[in-house]
This record gives sequence, C-alpha cells and structure tokens, in this order.
Amino acid sequence: MVDITPTRTTTPEPIARPPSTMRRWLESIALLRESWVGSIGAVIVLGFALMAVLAPLIAPYDPNLPMVPFAFPLSAAPDGGVFWLGTDHLGRDMLSRIVWGGQRVLIYATVATMAAYIVGVLMGLMAGYFRGWTDEIITFIANVILSFPVMVLYVLIIAKFGASGANIVLAVVFASSPGIMRIVRSLTLDIATREYVIAAQTRGESSWYIMLWEILPNARGPLIVDFCLRMGYTTITIGALGFLGLGLPPPDPDWGGMITETRSFVLAGFPHMAIIPAVAVSLLVLGFNMLADGLREVALRD
Amino acid sequence: MAKKNVLNRDKRKYLLPMERKWGAETHCYLPELTDQLDRSRIDRRDFLRQACLLGMTSAAAYATADVLLGRPLGSVARAAETPKPGGTLRVSMAVQEMTDPATFDWTEKSNVARFIVEYLTRTRADNTTVPYLAERWEAGEDLKTWVFHLRKGIKWSNGDDFTAADVAHNMARWLDPATGSSNLGLFDAMVEEYDTGEKGADGKPKMAKRAIGNAIEVIDDNTIKFNLRKAALAIPENFYNYPAAIVHRSFGKDTPADLSKHPIGTGPFDLAEFRVGERAILKKARKWWAGDFHLDEIHYFDHGQDTNAWVAAIISNQVDTLYRLPVESVETIKRIPTLDVLTTTTAQTAVARFRVTEKPFDNVNLRRAVLACMDHNELASKGFNNLGVPAQNDHVCPIHPDYADDMPKPKRDIELAKKLLKDAGYENGVKLTISNGDTDGPWMTSTLSVLKAQCAPAGIDVTINKMPSAQYWENWTKAPWGYTSWTHRPLGTMVLSLAYRTGVPWNESAYSDPTFDKALDEAEAELDVNARKEKLKVCRQILRDAAVIPQPFWRQISKAASKKVIGLDVHPTLYHQFQNVWLDS
Amino acid sequence: MLNLILRRLGIMLLIMLVVSMLLFFMNEGDPKLVARSVLGPFAQDQQLEAWIQQNGYDRPIMVRYVDWLVRLSQGDLGDSIIYKVPVNEIFWDRLANTGILAGVTFLVMVALALVLGVLAGIKEGSIQDRVISFVSIITTSIPEYASAVILGGIFVFWLGWLPGTSSMTAGFNPVELILPVMVLTLYGFGYIARMTRASMAEVMTSQYIRTAVLKGIPYNRVVMRHALRNALIAPFTVIMLQFNWLLSGVVVTEYAFGYKGFGALLLEAALRRDIYVIEACGIVAVFVAVTTQTIGDIVYTYLNPRIRFS
Repeated sequence: MVDITPTRTTTPEPIARPPSTMRRWLESIALLRESWVGSIGAVIVLGFALMAVLAPLIAPYDPNLPMVPFAFPLSAAPDGGVFWLGTDHLGRDMLSRIVWGGQRVLIYATVATMAAYIVGVLMGLMAGYFRGWTDEIITFIANVILSFPVMVLYVLIIAKFGASGANIVLAVVFASSPGIMRIVRSLTLDIATREYVIAAQTRGESSWYIMLWEILPNARGPLIVDFCLRMGYTTITIGALGFLGLGLPPPDPDWGGMITETRSFVLAGFPHMAIIPAVAVSLLVLGFNMLADGLREVALRD
Repeated sequence: MAKKNVLNRDKRKYLLPMERKWGAETHCYLPELTDQLDRSRIDRRDFLRQACLLGMTSAAAYATADVLLGRPLGSVARAAETPKPGGTLRVSMAVQEMTDPATFDWTEKSNVARFIVEYLTRTRADNTTVPYLAERWEAGEDLKTWVFHLRKGIKWSNGDDFTAADVAHNMARWLDPATGSSNLGLFDAMVEEYDTGEKGADGKPKMAKRAIGNAIEVIDDNTIKFNLRKAALAIPENFYNYPAAIVHRSFGKDTPADLSKHPIGTGPFDLAEFRVGERAILKKARKWWAGDFHLDEIHYFDHGQDTNAWVAAIISNQVDTLYRLPVESVETIKRIPTLDVLTTTTAQTAVARFRVTEKPFDNVNLRRAVLACMDHNELASKGFNNLGVPAQNDHVCPIHPDYADDMPKPKRDIELAKKLLKDAGYENGVKLTISNGDTDGPWMTSTLSVLKAQCAPAGIDVTINKMPSAQYWENWTKAPWGYTSWTHRPLGTMVLSLAYRTGVPWNESAYSDPTFDKALDEAEAELDVNARKEKLKVCRQILRDAAVIPQPFWRQISKAASKKVIGLDVHPTLYHQFQNVWLDS
Repeated sequence: MLNLILRRLGIMLLIMLVVSMLLFFMNEGDPKLVARSVLGPFAQDQQLEAWIQQNGYDRPIMVRYVDWLVRLSQGDLGDSIIYKVPVNEIFWDRLANTGILAGVTFLVMVALALVLGVLAGIKEGSIQDRVISFVSIITTSIPEYASAVILGGIFVFWLGWLPGTSSMTAGFNPVELILPVMVLTLYGFGYIARMTRASMAEVMTSQYIRTAVLKGIPYNRVVMRHALRNALIAPFTVIMLQFNWLLSGVVVTEYAFGYKGFGALLLEAALRRDIYVIEACGIVAVFVAVTTQTIGDIVYTYLNPRIRFS
C-alpha cells in the first residue's frame, strides 16, 4: 500500500545521524548559505520578522486612526509627514496597517503552526512507534480530517465556533496536525529500526524518552522544511479567513481583511489599498517557500 | 379624547373651501389639525402625514398646507424633463423565495413582488400615505371604524375585476394565525384573544388569537369597512407595510399560496424568470391602470451576501442601482463620475442595550456612567463614516412624527461618569464586555471602538466580543450587553411598544416598568399631534433616566445609482417605487 | 488488485460515514439551535418548542441521524432555510457551475503544469529548468485572494480587458470565466509542475533512458516514447489530489469574483447557518475529495509495477 500525503511536501528524507543537540538543529539552518534561493527566503522572512518586532518604531501612525481618505502612495500627510503607501478608504495609513497587520499575521501563524506541530508530532510519534491499534486509530482520524477540502473545513469550523484568534489557532491545529502526523509517522517508522534506537530500547529507556530524544531529533531535517512550508500555508490560511470575513476581529489590521474591505475600490481607481496587502502576503509566503526550498536543497546535498 | 374630536365651529372655516374644492370626504379631526398648522403648533410635515392618514387626499393636504404656509400651489408637482419610455432597470438585490406575500419577512422579497401585486395605500418617501388601490378612505370619529373605497376599473392579470372580495380575502388570511403573517400584530385592533378550551402543559388554559366577529364588512363591490375593538390611527399606513400586498381572492384557496408559481396581480409586470439566489426578471405585460410605467423590464440580480460584490457590480456597470450601498463604500462611489449616491435619513439604528436584569447591568448607576461617557457627535461621525445622525438614548427619531425636539441632548461628562461609577461601587474601574455580531456591517465594530475609547477615561474598560452574525442573532435577547440593530419604523410609539414594554417578545433589555408602560399606553391613545409628542416625552425621559440603551446614532441609508437613472427615490424602508423611474440614454 | 480496490472502497465508505456523522452532530446536535436557525432570531421559546416537536427533533440523536441518512440516500437534502426551497432546487445548479469552473481550470492547469514540468525536468539544472522552477515558486506563493486583486487591478482596472465580477448576470459568459480560471491556475500549477519536473528528472537519469540514448535512438523519441510515460505516473496521483485543493481554492475564488458556485453557496450557508445546505455541501465536498483520492490511489497502484507486484 502506498501512503499518499496530500500535503505539499517532498517525500521525507530521514537523515541517519547520531542523536544530536540544539546546535545541530541550528547547523542545518546555517547550511542555508549554500543555497541562494534559501538565502533570499531567509532574508525576506527575517525582514518581516524584524518589521513585526519593531512595529511600534516603524509604523508612522496609529493603524486605526482615520486621517485623509483615498490618499495615494507618497502623498503628503496633514501633519507634514508622508503616507508612503497611501491611505485606505477610511483614511488610515496603509504603511502602519501593513506593519501592524504583519505583526499580527506572524504571531498567529507562528503560534498556530507551533501548536499544530506539537499535536502532529506527538500523534505521529505515537502512531509510528507504537504501531498496531494506536496507529490504526490515529491514522484513521487523520484520514477523516484530511478528506475535507481544507478551506471547506475552515469555513465550517469558524462559522460554527466564531472568528476569534483562539478559534483560528484551534482550527489550524485541527486541520494541519494530521498532515504533520503523517510525515512524523513515516519518519518514525523508518528511524525506529535504527541501531541507536534499538540500543536505547535495550538500555531500558522509556518509550517517550526514545520518541522525544532519540527519534525526533533525527527526523528534524524534513520537519524543518515542512515547518517553513506550513508557516507559509498558515499565513495564506489566516489571510484567506480574513478575506472571507471569518478572520481576526476588526478594526485591528489583518492583511486578508484589508484586501476584502477595499477590493471593490480597485475598480474605482484606488488599486493600492487592496494590492499592497496582497503583495505583502504573497511576499511573506514567498519567503517561507524559498526558505523551505533552500533547506530542502541543502538537505538533499548532504 | 372624544372631547377633542368635537368639531369646533370656528375651525370649519379651514375646511369648507377645501372640501368644496377637492370634494374629499373629511374626518372631523381635520379642521382641528388644519387649525394647528395655521397657528404653527404643528409643522408642515406632521400635518401632511396625519391629514393623509385621516383620508384627506394628498393633493388637498399639500394644497391646504401651501395655502396656510404661503407657498405657491402646485409645488408638489416635480418639474422634470419628459420621461423616455422603455428600457431595462438592472438592480442588485438578494433574490429570495417569493411564495406568500403575507408571510414575507424580508423587504427584498416584497420588492420583487411589488410590481406584480400592489397595496391599498402607498407611503411615499416623505412619509405621507396616499391612495393606491384604495381611492380614498374615511375614519370614524372614534378611529374605530375605517371605510376604504376601492378604485374602480382595476383588473387582475387573469381578467377578473379587482373588488372588495379580494381585500376581504387578504384581511381574513392576515388575521388568521394559521397563515403566520406578521400583519396579525399590525392589525392587532381587529384581533381578540380567546380561550381554546384546551389546557397547556402548565395547567393554564391555552389562549389563541382570532379576528373579532365583525372585523371585516364588505359593503359593496368597491367598499369595505373594518371594525376595530380599539382606536387606531395608523391603519392606512399599515396597508403599505411590506407583507400587506393584495393578492387575488383565489390565492391560498383555489390555488396554492405561491406567488412565484401563480403570479396573478394588479400590477403591470409579469414574472418572466425567477431563480432564487440568482435572478428575478420582470417584464411589462400590460398597461398599468395608474398610468404610464416608463420601464419595460426590471431585472434583479442576486450578488450574494458580500457587499463588495454589489459595489463591484455597479462600478463595472453590470447593474444600474443597488438595493443598499454599504456605508463603507459611500465615499468611493461619490468619486466615480458616472454614479450618484442617494441618501436619506431613517429611523434605522443600533442600540447598545443593557440587559437590566443581568449583573452588573442591573446597577442603574453603572448604566448611567456608560451613558455619561458617550459623545454622540463623535460616535455619529467616526462610528458611521459621517452618515450618522446623533441619537439621544431613547430610541425615538427626529423623523418620527411623534418626536419632540425640545428635550435636552445628552452630553459627555467624564467627571459625572466617574462619580456614578463610584456610586455604583466600582471606584477602581470596571471591565465590561459587549457582544457584537456586525449583523449590519463592519461599521458596528467601528462604532464600538469609538465607544470603547470614550469609556476608557472614566475607568470603564470595554471589551468587544465579536461573533458571527448568525451567532449573535441566536442569542440577541439574552446577551448581558449587546449591540443590536433595529430597522426603521414609522412611529416612535411603535418602536417603544415593540422593544421596551414589559414582557413583549422583542424586549431584549428585559426592561420592565409599569409607569413606563402606562405612559406609553397614554401616548399611543393620543390623537392630537402635540399632545402625543408631550406624552411620548414622558416615556422617553423614563427610558433615559433608567439608562437602558446607549444609542449612538440614527443611520442614514444610501443607494448608488447610475446617473442615467432618473426619478429614483430612496425610500426610508428601502421599498422599491419605480413608477417615476426612467432611463436617460 | 481486486482486494486492494475493495479495501480502498471500504475505507472510503467508512470515512464518508464518519464525516456524515460529524456533519450531522455539528449542525443538528442541539435541536434548539436547529429550531432557532429555521425560525429565525425573532421566534419565541414556545415556538421553538412547538417546532421541535412537530419536526421530530425531540427524538434521540441517533434515531434522527439514521433517519437523516435514509433521507439523504433517497436524495432528499431538506429545505434551505435562507431560500425556503428544497436544497435540491439550488444545489445542483451551483455544483454544475463549480464543475464548469473547476473543469476548465483543471484542463488549463494540468496542461500548463505538465508541459512546464517536462521542459524543466528534461535538462535538470539548465537555464529553462531554473527559470521554470523559480517562476513556479513565485506563483505558488500568491494565494488566490491576492492574485484575484492583483490580476483584477491589471486586467480590469488598468487594461480594461475583462469584467470585474463573474456573476454571469446576463447569462453564461465565457469571458467572465477567464479571471477565476487564471487565479486558480496560477496558484495551482506550480505544484504539479514541480512534481512533474522531479519525476521527469529522475526518469531522465535512469539507466534505461541513458541506454536508449546511447543506442542512438533520437533524443526526441526517447523523451516522447519512453521517458514521458514513466515520468507521468507520479504526477498523476498529485493531480488527483489536486481536486481536494481545487475545492478549497474554489471557495475563495468564487467569493472573490461573485461566481455562483458551490463554494460561494457553502460560505453563505455557513455564515447564515443554513444547516441543510451546509450538510449537503459538506457531504458532497468530502465525497468528491475522497473519491478522487481513492481513484488516484488505485490507478497509481495499477500503473506502478513496483507496488503492484510487491
């Protein structure tokens, strides 16, 4: 039987190495400099991360403060400043909204993806290590969830339980942990047959010790790649939910929500309001995808 | 009340010339009304509305007002270019099911049906009610009997004559609880409660509603009389409420109650195509009894729930007008040279009502503290894109005929708010949560953000609990503090009666005060315009003192239309009246 | 082989059963909420109670579930709450519209992806490979809602070539289909292209292709006759899985362009708690996804001898 993973990841490539420490995790990221695609991706992602951290310093105005509506990029602001990216239909500074919106997206994407990883990794380790009934049950649950088209699942969950930050995180965990589980499971199935795992078993280490300290660190290569890709998808998802009106509560900026609020104005001659957040979200996702691509390239070269 | 209705001999002077000139049957209260207008005790608008309700023809009412107020006769007539006949008006609006007009619960449904089936009366955009299928009407002195004279010579689309039997059939259907029409509540004065003889689960006798014995009296083919058990002034207005379209006498009796499948009407249009959720195509099929209907076809297109799609449709010239223009897009449309924005003030609003039985909102000082923080002008401008009209926390609107303008406007007073908060026992501030479903659009969140900022200096920390609108409507009467939208209603007394009377179904604030109920009863029973305003002031003051509803503003509503559409009005209830509309190429 | 098919179908049925249960419990678990959705926000508690009794919602949930399954299998999808007509009257039209959109997208996307993937994979590391790979990374990074706005800005506002919405108000108009198809294709093709490229590159470096080239068979013929056939096995599965992604993308794209399809219907139903429409949409979406997945699985196994004979 072939295991088809309906997530956009490459076939996992487990790397045989002795148990390693945090340093090793960082080393595999450091290898990035060997890939120019990965380096560009890293620069983009770091750039956005920096922007998020420094949001209070970068954003020139309060993102929810109405000033001059419909100002185009580079217009002069009434206080003598400049609306670098223009303002939206309510007169709020686009640059400030992009910056604060970016912070919000990055925080939620990171929290949601991390949470999905914790659930997915634990499930995957259990399924792959214990096998048997545990595996059957976990795999079946995963198959049920994965049988939903993702966006259909999100719409159903958010419309039922409401659009709050916490619900979005929970929905992402629910929808993407099965995919993570599958990858971890197949990696675990493979690594569990390695000598050092068998050695640990004969030493009498507990199952959880083996899973978390022997198997997991050795599965890191493909997982780091997958993590970067998933950060990209989660960013897309949060934007899509905002776009569909199921996103983070207004009026605080959220890129998807910004697009949907102003997209009809593109036709009215004010394309910047919707296109700038559209470009921002695409650029961030591109950063994650290039980073993942670079990491994969480096991993394959090993 | 009877005393006031006695005709004052002096006042006949106003009546006789008019009576002779216009040949109108006149209600005995009309001279009194005319006198009040003459002495400037009521204004032109109040006069017009009330006179029309009492059966004066609108031409006579306008003429009377013009004579007394010194305006030139005939100012009603619109100086306009000659309309060009023909053409298709394309409208973006939800196309919903259209089975039984009596059970319509959305205005959109009635707007499609409006060109097929018609109403006894018509309330114009200026709030006066004028004849339609009924040619004229008279009210008894005590307002307990109403005689409607139907226009002669109107034919149904199947060839039958339109007669009093049709009206009687409709009224009987509305008053039968089995039909499930909301008109039942509207014509409450013709309904009684009776003991069904059965006992409910709680052992109490089961009560049910039915029409009173002689409620409907057909006098002849063109005359019908309604007998009421209590006085009611708004009967003619009620006949234009959207579920009150008159259907053929066979409807729901000989044919199934489904207008989209059996569209027999008095209007000039036929339903050529009808696809729920997609489109409704109306085509002019016959001459209209009322004169020229310039348009040949009216096409309704459903662009879904997403307001962006509506705006995109009109910008890209896929439709000529919108059912409603979301307030967020008004500024944009104004910048497009081929489009017009039409705006009108309405009594649509939203109230941040407290549920006064829930902690901590059972504390009147806490409620008052929130009210004292509010700056209504800022809320109306920032919270509703400059299209709000500041409200006064009593749910009676300046456009209501029973609104008195001389009550003090609420003022922001942070020191007072702090003091009230202290009295309420929250010296160190308080955290409050308000539920909001953005049921009418994202502006609701904007408003609450402004409110939140206004409350902060007094030590009131407001959290906005945003939820999907469906979820809000599931619990709208239960949330301890919630922001609920209310639609336009023609009378102040009507709103207060629906929303704040003890125990009524829509009383979402659980407010209950016998003094208020009594004052409201008195206001409702008052026919004299000014006395009614005064009596309603009492109710409004009680409501304000009880601090039940922080009400930021009244909403102006807007429509967008292509500049080639001429003669389009914005009706405050968004009813579609296209008889004067024509298209300029 | 037959065994495998039966096993696959069994799993598929089981998944459908669990999904139907989830959908039912989520939407109709609480009779009071169902009554509230049907009767609207202004109904009184007694009315809700009466409705619950009249419509049999006071029965135990499992009884209601079985009853619902039976009706579902007879093709009765219930009545839409918003539109007050049988769900059957609106649902299939919408599904057909989505079928048109998805079908056209699918043809365009697969053709484009296979051609680009093969071109890139023939010569791994060449300029054309790098350009194609880079372009596909970029396009897979632009989500549908972003490209809808960007392409709308270009083709509707700036160039004025295409209409801004696709609501087909004046009847079916193929021109209105162009933007949604572009948006879906742009986001989707990169992934298939990359898979095809990887598969093609692997085949091109395999022993038998090298042998064939060394034998002197013309290069074009080697590619067309031998390499392609083997290289397309892996992308096939990916393509079948793409249906699942397409249904996701369809929700966003239909909403973006006001296209009257299944995705827009689901979204509207979910936002307005039209529970019977939600159930119908959910079941059908999962059915399409699971069926394509199962077909993909079976055909992949059939095409790939390594698995078939193991």
